[in-house]
Amino acid sequence: MFTANKKKSILYRLLMMVLSVSSVILLLAAYRAVALANPLLLPSFDQIGERFVKLFTTPIKGVPLTAHVIASLRRVLIAMGFAWVLGILFGFSIGWSRTLNAIFGTIFELFRPIPPIAWIPIVIMWFGVGEFPKELIVFIGSVIPVVVNTRSGVMYVEKQYTDVARAFGASRFQMLKEVVLPSAIPSIFAGLRTSVSTGWTVVLAAEMLAADRGVGALVMRGWMGNDMALVLISISVIAIIGAILSFTLIKLEKVVCPWMH
Amino acid sequence: MENIAEKNIDTRPIKVEVKNLTKSFGDLLVLDNLNFNIRQNEFVCVVGPTGCGKTTFLNCLTRILEPTSGDLLINGESADPKKHNLSFVFQEPSIFPWATVEKNIACGLEVKRVPKDEIERRVDRILDLMGLRDVRKAYPKDLSVSTAQRVIIGRSFAMQPDLLLMDEPYGQMDIKMRYYLEDEVIRLWKELGSTVVFITHNIEEAVYLAERVLILSNKPAGIKEEVIIDLPHPRDITDPKFIEYRNYITDQIKWW
Repeated sequence: MFTANKKKSILYRLLMMVLSVSSVILLLAAYRAVALANPLLLPSFDQIGERFVKLFTTPIKGVPLTAHVIASLRRVLIAMGFAWVLGILFGFSIGWSRTLNAIFGTIFELFRPIPPIAWIPIVIMWFGVGEFPKELIVFIGSVIPVVVNTRSGVMYVEKQYTDVARAFGASRFQMLKEVVLPSAIPSIFAGLRTSVSTGWTVVLAAEMLAADRGVGALVMRGWMGNDMALVLISISVIAIIGAILSFTLIKLEKVVCPWMH
Repeated sequence: MENIAEKNIDTRPIKVEVKNLTKSFGDLLVLDNLNFNIRQNEFVCVVGPTGCGKTTFLNCLTRILEPTSGDLLINGESADPKKHNLSFVFQEPSIFPWATVEKNIACGLEVKRVPKDEIERRVDRILDLMGLRDVRKAYPKDLSVSTAQRVIIGRSFAMQPDLLLMDEPYGQMDIKMRYYLEDEVIRLWKELGSTVVFITHNIEEAVYLAERVLILSNKPAGIKEEVIIDLPHPRDITDPKFIEYRNYITDQIKWW
């Protein structure tokens, strides 16, 4: 019975794998069919391949594709590093202390609903079009989910956990370290996950508006030059990097909170 | 029943004194002037009608709630979780999901800053006593509900508390698991010499476990009667004397 079940589950997993692989193949086939019918709207695979090679032989703005990717990644990682550290600290403070929440929580609530991209004009007016303003916008976008999730994780610690610690006579610091922090970690990670996708989205938007380098700049270049192959390559690169970022985060989460998975 | 109590005079020293304990929430009086003592290494069950304030009573004992008036003394001093060693098994599962079984058992000792080797020794002992050695590195998500509850009970006993308070810890268990865990709690209590207050609405459970049963009256709760259960452990629920105790306490609760 057990082995039969196991066999069934292997068969089942194999079937699921075949299904997902064939759906991708079908999508590519559909793309090919549409591309053949409308060569102006969609470049063929051959054209995309050629364009890809050309990205390295005749670089755009003097640098190859990899340099554009690195430029975007650098902005995101720097901004997100600050967003994570400051966001967790700030979220923790306003979640833990009613006083701090009364002082800063309301201000935060006022800023929270503003889409990060809406800050672009102000930030450009104040700081120009260098690296810092782009990082600042990414920071604004990715710090918000970190703060929101950290705060609620800290505020809504289940009462039975704090009761246990209180009955043991835990000090405020022990309560924070032994109960509040670990029980908030899953929620904090949910915030980090959102911040990664927001940060990556926002950096592209910022680069599309004003940047020499970066994947967002490539998309704009492709659009302006009616170079659909370039647009498609850039989009694919964006997708792949977004996937790598969230995959890395999932791995990190498994290391940091082994009790969840 | 009183004459049974007089047959065996308890000579153990008094551990816990509850004096004029009263708790009200605004105008609502929940606990009305409770007075009783608990002796060292005694096992006391508290029974009472549902909603009579049993949990409020326990929360006052652990100082999660401050009593409105009156006091709880441990070894003659006003109880203080920072000074005394109180331990609590809640009705709801309170195992920490982020910690392994052994960490869960150790966490109260760590809060009390017990030396590391002593923590290790006590955790090992509890793991052995409860047969949890194989799952010591497991996280709660991989445990059944009853095993998780056993870890919580182990955590409480590992504290070697001045007073161990249990609030319907087996409320959510099926009957077979409850019998098993009741025997286990008796074994731990005897082995470790703890002082236990066990709250339950299950009269059979109270008669099975307790040396002494406190019957609470309906809200506002006061102590209606104390019954000493003069039967040796392990007890037999089909013993006529057992049934006599059970029926007597049931009558006392019904008779308000």
